[in-house]
Amino acid sequence: MIRFEQVSKTYPGGFQALNRVNFQVAAGELAFLTGHSGAGKSTLLRLVALMERPTLGRVLINGHDLNKINRRQIPYLRRDIGMIFQDHRLLMDKTVFDNVALPLYIEGYTQSEARKRVQAALDKVGLGGQERKYPIMLSGGEQQRVGIARAIVNKPPLLLADEPTGNLDPTLSLEIMNLFESFHQVGVSVLIATHDLALVARMRHRNLVLRNGAMIDDGLASGGYEPLDEGAY
Amino acid sequence: MGFLSRKSDQRKGAKAVKISAGRRFLMFFVNNFQQAIGSLGELSRTPMASLMTIAVLGLSLTLPTTLYVVVKNAQSISAEWDNAAEINVFLRKDLRPQEIQTFRERVRLMAEVERVEFIDKEAGLAEFRANSGFGSAIDYLQTNPLPDVLVVIPAADFQSVERARMLLTTLEQEREVSSASLDLKWLERLQALVRVIENSFAALGLLLCTAVVLIVGNTIRLAILNRRDEIMIMKLVGATDAYIQRPFLYTGFWYGVVGGIIAWLATTILVIWIDSSIVKFSSLYESDMSLQGLSLNDMLVVWLVAIGLGLFGSWIAVRRHVSAIEPR
Repeated sequence: MIRFEQVSKTYPGGFQALNRVNFQVAAGELAFLTGHSGAGKSTLLRLVALMERPTLGRVLINGHDLNKINRRQIPYLRRDIGMIFQDHRLLMDKTVFDNVALPLYIEGYTQSEARKRVQAALDKVGLGGQERKYPIMLSGGEQQRVGIARAIVNKPPLLLADEPTGNLDPTLSLEIMNLFESFHQVGVSVLIATHDLALVARMRHRNLVLRNGAMIDDGLASGGYEPLDEGAY
Repeated sequence: MGFLSRKSDQRKGAKAVKISAGRRFLMFFVNNFQQAIGSLGELSRTPMASLMTIAVLGLSLTLPTTLYVVVKNAQSISAEWDNAAEINVFLRKDLRPQEIQTFRERVRLMAEVERVEFIDKEAGLAEFRANSGFGSAIDYLQTNPLPDVLVVIPAADFQSVERARMLLTTLEQEREVSSASLDLKWLERLQALVRVIENSFAALGLLLCTAVVLIVGNTIRLAILNRRDEIMIMKLVGATDAYIQRPFLYTGFWYGVVGGIIAWLATTILVIWIDSSIVKFSSLYESDMSLQGLSLNDMLVVWLVAIGLGLFGSWIAVRRHVSAIEPR
């Protein structure tokens, strides 16, 4: 589903965020991406969503070379990728319903056509019946779940999450992770960047580890499960 | 266009994501309509700011429109005078009545001539006495100094400046004629003056239209920057630039629609105002001139121009700024 081939990313000013990263995530796989702050986790996710272009190397999504996707095609790529952010990125002046329905509106659904799918997505994240509320009226964990509902509402085959549990307490974090696991179980590929190592250890999934922009462990050697190892950081 | 394949089991419990081309086409218009109404709602949410921009647009268009009305009226007056070309033929004083009669008849039968009017010298003197204000002074004259005059009105085809001039030369060469005159100088001067006024008004109008485009563009630019975060999020979930741009373009469109109506109203008020003074002015000259206001056609043109300017202004802003906002 995702393949990185010798990918390097250097930001203007000379900071090298990624250095010759190689890895592959299979379709339907759930993988974590861990590493210290500034290790390049966000940059890696941003390369997948084409929010950045690699300086060197290629990123392939489902066999498509992203270097060959031009600016006009980017929106169509993003429609196939559900993205979840630490800061939720919700529209604060729109209702929960409109927030979740946004990807559907963009694809040309009317409000009434979107209703069924929005409700299904909200039910899935446990926010059924909250459609009329505004994001500001919800707790942090609930807002994050609205963001997740928005990411899955058009059923993308790939989910990217950047620190989805960053601001949440352990119980809520576990709930969110279980949610991701349930998407993985229906065949969605999920890539989660996080620094919550305890949680990663508990989930028992493949763990990709970045340090200073280099991938020091692609999680395959340890049989798809990276035990809690503080020494790696 | 999808880049990733979707597994069928991901679609459980909901309709497929793929939408047929025909539906897409239909939805394009439904979407447009929704966004048009939506941006109208957006305007009503910020009534003061929108109203100010709309007023600037409307009032900026009012000046050129009013000037246009004035020019249009001036043109119609000068056009009226253009067709009233007359040739005054002054006859020699030593002609016998019989010769004058023959000459009148000969001119009347010329193909270039619509009709002739004969003003004999006594009638000419009487008219002069009545209109000139020299009434009693004329009584002191021993003899009538005026010649007999034949007023020749050219046929419709010969009323243009050149042709009337050709007729003039023909008439001047007649034996019975001492001189003939065709007063065109004033007409040419009037036409030149009208042209100068037209051109300067057009330049002024162009300047004001440019100002309108810039003002609308700037307002839309601010609106775009205000919604920077929202645009970023929309781009993140796969909105095309065209989709994001549309509400802003519709905002410009609505500016034009309402601004055009303001321009009508303001122009109408201005024309009524100017007209009242023109009626007073012309009544002093015992004439009944009055301004022709905007015709339905003119109003449509003003409206289209207003909408065009609103759209163009927002298009400039949108082109520059929407694509510049990239998600971080």
